[in-house]
Amino acid sequence: MENAISYIGEHLWPGRIGHAGILLGFVAALLSALAYFFATQRRDKPEAAQWTKIGRWAFAAHSLGILSVIGMLFYVMTRQYYEYQYVQAHVSDDLPFKYIFAAFWEGQEGSFLLWMFWHVVLGLVLVFKAGKWESPVMSMLALIQVFIGSMILGIYVGWGDDPLKLGSNPTLLLRQVMDAPIFNQVDYVSKLSGNGLNPLLQNYWMTIHPPTLFLGFASTSIPFCFAIAGLWLRKHTEWLQPALPWALFSGAILGTGILMGGAWAYEALSFGGYWAWDPVENMSLVPWLTLIAGIHTTLIAKSTGYSVKSSYAFYLLTFVLIVYSTFLTRSGVLGDTSVHAFTEMGLESQLILFLGFFTLLSLVMFFMRYKGVPAPPKEERITSREFWMFIGTLVLFFSAIIITGSTSLPVYNKIMQFFDPTFEGRVITEPEPHYNKYQLWIAVFIGLLTASAQLLRYKGVNWESYWPKFLRHAGVAVLLALGMSFLTTRWIEVKDIRHLTMLFAGWFAIAANTDYLITFIKGNLKLAGSTFSHIGFGLMLVGILASGLNKRVISSNPFIMDGLIEGADEQSLRNNILLFKNAPMQMGGYEVTYTRDTLDKFSRTYTVNYKKKDPQGQVLEEFELHPNILYDKSFSKVAASNPSTKRYLDRDVFTHIASLPQVEMDMEFRRKREDSLNYRRFDLFEGQEISFLDTVPIRDRDTSVLKRYTVQVESVSRETRHPDYKPEKGDFTVGARLRVQREGDDTVYLAEPMLVLRKDMLVSYPSQINEISAKVRLTDAIFTQLFVPESELGYKEYELTQGDSVRVGDLVVRFAGFNKQPDNRDYQPEKDDIAVSAVLDVRDAAGKTYEAQPVYLIRGSQPFNLKAEVEELGLHARFMSINPEKESASISLALTGKKRYTVPFEIATNSLRSDYIVLEAIEFPGINLFWLGSLLMMVGLAVGMWNRMRGSHA
Amino acid sequence: MKKIYFIAIAMIAVAILIFSTAAEDMSTYSTFADAARSGKKVKVVGQLAKDKEMYYNPEKDPNYFSFYVNDAAGVSHKVVLLAEKPQDFELSEQIVVTGKMKKEAFVATDILMKCPSKYKDEEISIKKEQKG
Repeated sequence: MENAISYIGEHLWPGRIGHAGILLGFVAALLSALAYFFATQRRDKPEAAQWTKIGRWAFAAHSLGILSVIGMLFYVMTRQYYEYQYVQAHVSDDLPFKYIFAAFWEGQEGSFLLWMFWHVVLGLVLVFKAGKWESPVMSMLALIQVFIGSMILGIYVGWGDDPLKLGSNPTLLLRQVMDAPIFNQVDYVSKLSGNGLNPLLQNYWMTIHPPTLFLGFASTSIPFCFAIAGLWLRKHTEWLQPALPWALFSGAILGTGILMGGAWAYEALSFGGYWAWDPVENMSLVPWLTLIAGIHTTLIAKSTGYSVKSSYAFYLLTFVLIVYSTFLTRSGVLGDTSVHAFTEMGLESQLILFLGFFTLLSLVMFFMRYKGVPAPPKEERITSREFWMFIGTLVLFFSAIIITGSTSLPVYNKIMQFFDPTFEGRVITEPEPHYNKYQLWIAVFIGLLTASAQLLRYKGVNWESYWPKFLRHAGVAVLLALGMSFLTTRWIEVKDIRHLTMLFAGWFAIAANTDYLITFIKGNLKLAGSTFSHIGFGLMLVGILASGLNKRVISSNPFIMDGLIEGADEQSLRNNILLFKNAPMQMGGYEVTYTRDTLDKFSRTYTVNYKKKDPQGQVLEEFELHPNILYDKSFSKVAASNPSTKRYLDRDVFTHIASLPQVEMDMEFRRKREDSLNYRRFDLFEGQEISFLDTVPIRDRDTSVLKRYTVQVESVSRETRHPDYKPEKGDFTVGARLRVQREGDDTVYLAEPMLVLRKDMLVSYPSQINEISAKVRLTDAIFTQLFVPESELGYKEYELTQGDSVRVGDLVVRFAGFNKQPDNRDYQPEKDDIAVSAVLDVRDAAGKTYEAQPVYLIRGSQPFNLKAEVEELGLHARFMSINPEKESASISLALTGKKRYTVPFEIATNSLRSDYIVLEAIEFPGINLFWLGSLLMMVGLAVGMWNRMRGSHA
Repeated sequence: MKKIYFIAIAMIAVAILIFSTAAEDMSTYSTFADAARSGKKVKVVGQLAKDKEMYYNPEKDPNYFSFYVNDAAGVSHKVVLLAEKPQDFELSEQIVVTGKMKKEAFVATDILMKCPSKYKDEEISIKKEQKG
């Protein structure tokens, strides 16, 4: 539809560049794939070089296209051009610049672009480094880019009322994607504002986790492309060499990406753990498992010639699983089974096409060439390393199958419902125990296999003479593992035989691989990649057992653990505890106190103090945690709650705010509640006291009693503080101190309400006395007392030169001289000010002296004067003008005498308590073993890659 | 016959065994009536009954939140969650509760809410008119 209106304020050129980039990226990828295809097919003919050249230039053009879309999107996002739909959906005025990347890949289109970006980077490396593999590998990679590129095309295919939409274009204007009355206004752009980034995602993990994960995703394409190239060219053994470093790279990066997801969930989100078997987590783990299986079969194939077919199969499967994972998380099929799947965007059929195409391509290529793939005629020996390694890869594959099977339940439901609409979808009632009970045995097998296979030799050479050595080392490892397992059970509680088996498997892997590292490869770090990874795996198993099995909820009733309370099963789910401010609470061996909370912009940070004491009351250890909550940008609701964790070497203490008083969480409720408070109004002089009777409800009953309240105004002051008040330049503040007491309560509570006049706005900071549910606030009537109109003061003007004195009432005012750096609380210097004050020394009848400095000021060629006031005396002074010839100043003075202010205030005694937090605190023992182990696994992969890369050039 | 085939067959056998036993871990979405009949842990899907009472008073019990859910059969039943009241609870379009039917209420151990996505939201936020 053409719009007849010409709009004001739209920036159209970035959109045009972006759209051109999308089209260029798509067409050039297609061209590159074709050119490289012909370069491969006609590799023996002279024109091959020409085709390769076209392929390269086309890929360069593709890269340019993709980079310009990304560049353009960043440009409009940083400029906050809200007329763009993508900007409006992901950016807002208050979004800090550091989250611009996070906002970029928050949306589906942005994350597709991120994925393509990494393919571009890896593709450019391959163009230069892949040598004779360039054509077939790049042909495949460009083809993958065609499919992903189609996801952001945003063109309509077909005719009629319901054409098929191909992809979602991120460079469209808001008015191109929706119809709204606002677009009838020519200046609609100036009225737009952005939705911004979900506060839950405003986190540094959101900046680093997606790029790492997508680099992991993108890098699985490379072994896939090499596998296809190997099948295509029938070079069944040659492709393994260049593919291996890429596979190791991919394993390390994808693994790190997955771990970052776990660390994010654990550290910044309040999931209370690092892994929850969520479908999205599962489907990034599964391709990693098959990739690791592929790495192992590649090693077998390179050393023995076995397992070439499996290597093909695993790399092909890995990429297909990546696409499947993309399909699951982006098509909306997971529905309500996942916490963090993307919302659907109408890309389902395209994703199915993407998945179908590469599945079919893999199957066709694999089975067309199946017969020609070489394999040694003889079977692997049972005493050989390759045999047990291969079993290990089968176990990994097996794990991948059962995880995929359970995760795909929603897909199965959809398919069944397609054929039988009455079919009732099935769900896994409790995912965590379901997955754990199978994966536990996988972990046991892998642990045992990494240990025993490492000690065996390829092809089982000289088994006849080697077996005593094997048995010796294996035996030592078993004994060590048993010993360590026993020691571990002294530290953490492991009772179940399944868990004991897993514990042993973990320690066995650590012991055997450490032994191998020391005695077999003599600490040669170049060869140590696999041992690092395997030791890491063992440590990870121990860490999982320690932190998962012995995870201890601190914030719960201590008697539950001992089964003293009936229905302990249900009770054990009660993870929260209520903490009143400054009231220590004993829990889980700690004395926990909520001591403080501070508000900064949109986030409120709570300080929670933990103390561990010995029986004599001596503090053994003490630390503070700072969980916080984030309000949404309209300050009406809590948008996110961020945990805080104390890390020890052997355990973590995790703390998060589960809930807050409703008046703190919901500002709408707070307003309503505030309006419903029954305020009594008083107007007292300083020092004056008043008392009144009010009803106090009895807790947990429906009756109330009458109690007497006494309130005394202690003082009133302009220098005042309030925990929620952040001073700003030009603020005018007034506050009071009141002493409040309730009958039957010996404590006298101090209330310090204040009022702030900021520009034209009056802000009230009431004071809450939680112990007696009272709330005190000042009324604005206090300002009418502070501001007596100047015209009513009765100024008298005096012409004074330096040293002159005048008498005003019983005061003597002496003009002591000029001051070019005026000292006056109402004067804030600005650039180019010409300012001077008159220093007035004032002496009262009792001989006490005071100083006042009225200011004369020229700002922007306008003369001003700022008064000075001696409040104790009620003396007002103004510096009206300077007479340069006589070097005299014209000073206006008025004496009103010391004023006794009354303090108009209101007090309500039915205010809700707002001084507590609902806390969840969990102790995770040995969680560092999990992080250390999993990191060591990644380090092992990286060492392997580095080693293989050197090897491939040698 | 190769050894590897035996292992493959063994693995397939285990896989079949696993998938047949795994059926126990699965259930269809139940109604409150089903839950009362079976007495087992089930998942109930439904909508929050916004007209009925929601109760959470952390001062009394920070681990007790009760509300009413209309299940797929349209039956409204009290649900007790032994945890805090989740954020944005009122906004939820759909609720899945996992738990068991007890005497007085359906006691949920886990809850999943589907909230309206901001992408589907066709409203455009418009800057508030600034006062001159």
